[in-house]
Amino acid sequence: MASGRGGIPGPSRPCRLPLLFLPALLPLLVLLAFSFSPSSAVAAAASPGAMHNNNWAVLVCTSRFWFNYRHMANTLSLYRTVKRLGIPDERIILMLADDMACNPRNNYPAQVFNNENHQLNLYGDNVEVDYRGYEVTVENFLRVLTGRHESAVPRSKRLLSDEGSHILLYMTGHGGDEFLKFQDNEELQSHDLADAVKQMKEKHRFKELLIMVDTCQAATLFSQLHSPGVLAIGSSMKGENSYSHHLDSDIGVSVVDRFTFYTLAFFEKLNMYSNASLNSLFNSYNPSMLLSTAYYRMDLYERPLNEVIVR
Amino acid sequence: MAPPLSPPALRRLLLLVLSLLITSVAAENVEEFTEELLLRPLPDRKALAHFHFRSSAPPSAAPSRHHHHFPKAIAQLVHQFHIKELELSFTQGRWNYEQWGGYDPMSTNYAKPPGVELWATFDLPLGEIDATWKNLTHTLSGLFCASINFLESSTAFSSPRWGFKLNEGNLRYGALPREAVCTENLTPWLKLLPCRDKAGIASLLYRPSVYKGYYHSQKLKLASSKSFGIILDQTLTVVLQPDSVRGKQLHSADGQLQPSWSMKDLFNRKLSGKCLVSKSSRVFFEIEKNIVDKVDKSGTEASWTNEIFVLSSAPDRVLKEINNMDGHSSSICEYDVSNYNEDAPLDVGVTWKLPLIWSCTPAPYHANRFLMGSGNERGSISLSFISTNMHKQLFDVSNDCSIKAVVFQVVPWYVKGFLHIDEYPPDANQGFDIPSALVTFPEFNSSRSYPETDSLFVSPLLRTFKEDGVVKSYTEVLLVPLTTPDFSMPYNVITFTCTVLALYFGSLLNALRRRTGEEERELKKAGNPTMLICLPVYDAHISCVI
Repeated sequence: MASGRGGIPGPSRPCRLPLLFLPALLPLLVLLAFSFSPSSAVAAAASPGAMHNNNWAVLVCTSRFWFNYRHMANTLSLYRTVKRLGIPDERIILMLADDMACNPRNNYPAQVFNNENHQLNLYGDNVEVDYRGYEVTVENFLRVLTGRHESAVPRSKRLLSDEGSHILLYMTGHGGDEFLKFQDNEELQSHDLADAVKQMKEKHRFKELLIMVDTCQAATLFSQLHSPGVLAIGSSMKGENSYSHHLDSDIGVSVVDRFTFYTLAFFEKLNMYSNASLNSLFNSYNPSMLLSTAYYRMDLYERPLNEVIVR
Repeated sequence: MAPPLSPPALRRLLLLVLSLLITSVAAENVEEFTEELLLRPLPDRKALAHFHFRSSAPPSAAPSRHHHHFPKAIAQLVHQFHIKELELSFTQGRWNYEQWGGYDPMSTNYAKPPGVELWATFDLPLGEIDATWKNLTHTLSGLFCASINFLESSTAFSSPRWGFKLNEGNLRYGALPREAVCTENLTPWLKLLPCRDKAGIASLLYRPSVYKGYYHSQKLKLASSKSFGIILDQTLTVVLQPDSVRGKQLHSADGQLQPSWSMKDLFNRKLSGKCLVSKSSRVFFEIEKNIVDKVDKSGTEASWTNEIFVLSSAPDRVLKEINNMDGHSSSICEYDVSNYNEDAPLDVGVTWKLPLIWSCTPAPYHANRFLMGSGNERGSISLSFISTNMHKQLFDVSNDCSIKAVVFQVVPWYVKGFLHIDEYPPDANQGFDIPSALVTFPEFNSSRSYPETDSLFVSPLLRTFKEDGVVKSYTEVLLVPLTTPDFSMPYNVITFTCTVLALYFGSLLNALRRRTGEEERELKKAGNPTMLICLPVYDAHISCVI
C-alpha cells in the first residue's frame, strides 16, 4: 500500500501524493479492502489454492428416551439424504444417543419412520452408526470435530477431513439460549462450539463448513462463531421454539420436526446431478409453516449462495 | 541300458508332474467359504433358524497376503493383536431354556447372554495382554458399530483362569448387558461375507423379521493357528414366530395344530440360489429326537413325510444321528441349494397334519438368578437351581444326587461402594446391569454326531455339533437399583453459597461505607443555625441550599 505506513487498510488520510495517482490507487485500495475478511487481516481468506475434493457429514442426535423419537428420525432422514446424494458411509459420522429402531417400544422393529404414512424406512438395511448410546457426549463430539482422539480410536470414528473438505454438521435435540443439551445431562455451549470450529480452521480441517441446527432457539448456538468459511442455519431465533411436525398415532410420538421436514421436502426433489443452490433452500423456508424463523448467518461466508450443498 | 525318453514324452511327463505339484500346492492354499441354514420347529409354536457361515484362510508366513473372499479386516485383526481365539456375540432376548432345550449343541454353543459378550485368548506374553485387549475393544467397536470400547476399563473385563475356560492367564472376558443390537450391528457383520446379503443364504435376512423375533444372536468366532490358518465362523440364531394363516388351524378332534410354516413365512422371501463362491450351500431341517420318538410311537417311520407332518419338498439326504445312548435319535433332512435357482427357488417348510406336543431335553438344572432384599446393605443376589431330573433319566443313577457345576459371574465393584459423580451414566436412576452368570456342568456332554456321507466335504455345522461341548446355561441379566446421588446438589450448593456470601459481603460493605448521619454531623460542625432547605430542581435532583 502506498501510504507508507504498513499494510493495514486504514481510513483515508490526507495524502501528499499527487492527485494523478489517486484514481489509480483507489480501485486498488477498494479491491484489497474487499479481499480481506471482516474478522482480521492476518487470518486472511480460506487456504489459497485448496480445491474442494471431498465431502464429509457429521450428524448428531443428542436426545435419548422414546419421546424424543423425532430427533432420531430427523438425524436419520438427513443421513439417508446425504447418502442418497453421494456421500459414502466412510465419510459420514453418525452419532445417535439412543436406540429407537430396536427399542422394545417400537411397534415396527428395525424401522424408523419420519412420516405417518410409513412409506420410507429410514433405517434401511445398511445403516452404520459410529457413536451410539452413552458414547454421544460433548467430549466425544468435540473430539470428533477437532480430531484429538486417543490413539486407540479406530478410523471409522474419526473425522479425517483436510483442507479441501466441505463438511456438513447437523445437530438436533433440545436446546436453548446459547446451548444444546446432550443426553439430558450435559450441555454444549455456543462458545465451545465456536472454539472447536476455530481449532478446526487453524488445523485446516475444512474448506467450508455448513452447520444446520434444529432445536429451540437454534440461532443462538452459533452466535459466537468467528471463523471464516462457515455458514450456519438455525431453525429458530432467540426466544422462539422449534416445533414438531406431526404426531404418528401408530407409533405414539411425533415423528419429525418442522424444520427438518421442510429441509427434506426440498432435498427429496433433488438427485446427485442437480444444481440447486443454497439460496433456493433458504427461500423454501416459510416462517408460517415452520412456526419459527429460520435464521442463517452468512457473514463469515465468502461465496455468494449459489452452490450445491453436497457437491 | 534303457533307451532315453523321446523329447515329447519328456515334455508331457514334465507337464504332468508340474500340474500335480501346482494342484497340490493350490489345494492347500485355497480359501474356502461355506454357508448353511438350519431350521427347527420349537415346542411353543415358534421356529428356530440358524445361519452358519464359515470362511477359512490357509496359514501364511507374511500378513500381507492377497485375499480372495476371506475378509481382510479379520485377517489384519488377527495378525495385529496376535489372537488365538476370539468370540464376539451380539444378542437380544433371552434363550428360553425351559422351552427350547438346554442339552443340545444349539443351546450350548449358540444361546448367549443379552447384550454384547466378548472373550479372547492371545498369543502374547502376559504383561502385554491388557494393553492389547484395550486396543482390540476399540477396533471392534469401530468395526461393528457398537460401544465395545466400554470394555477397555479394568472394571469391565476380567481374566478368569478356570471359571470360564481353562487357560494359562491369556484369556480376557467382558460383557455389556445393556448394549442394544440393531441393524447397524448386522450391516458390518454381513459385509464380512463374500456375497454380503445379495446372494446365497444371507439374502434371506429380512431385517424387520429378524428383529421382530423372540431371540436373535449374531456371533463371530475366530480361531487361528500356524497349522490351520484362520477359521472364521459367523452364525446368526433367530427364534421367530411364524406369522402364517395356516398356523392358526384347529384340528377337529385333538386341539390346536402346531403352526405350519415355511421360509417364506419366516423371512418374506424364498431362497433363489447359492452364493457362487461358496464351496457348498445347504439347508437343514432338524427333527428333534423327541418328535422322532412320538412319531415312531404312532406307528410310522419318521422320515420327511409321515402321518404327523410333511415337509414341503423331498430332501436330498436324510441323516440320522449316530451313537445316541437313548435309542432314539434326531434326524436332519438336507437340501442342497445349488439345485435351485431364481426360476425354481427353495422354500423349505413343514405342514402339520396332526397335533403334536413334545418337549426339548433340558439341562440337568434350571439356573435362575434374581435379587432379594433391598438397598446396598440388605440386598443380595441369589442363584437358584431347580433339578429337571434329566440326569437320572440319562444315567440311571438313582442314589447319587451330586452334580458338579461351575458358576462364573462378574459383579461390578460399585454394587457395594460408590462411584464418583461423573462416572455415573446419564440415566443413572434406571439402575445398573449385572451381566449374566454362566453355569457349566462339566460332567455332561451335548455333542451329537451325524454320519459323514461325503468324504471330500464335511458340513461345518455338523462338525460343530460333533465337537465336545459341555452343557452350559446363562442366567438372566440383573438390573440393580443402586443409590444414586442427587445430581442437582452441586448446582444447589453453588447457588446457596453464592447467595449467602453475597448477603454477607453485601451487608458488610454496606455497613462499612454508609454515611447516614454524616451530613447532619458536618452541618453541626459548621455550626449554622439556619435550616437546610432541600428543594427539587427541574432536572430532578435535590439541591440543598443553606
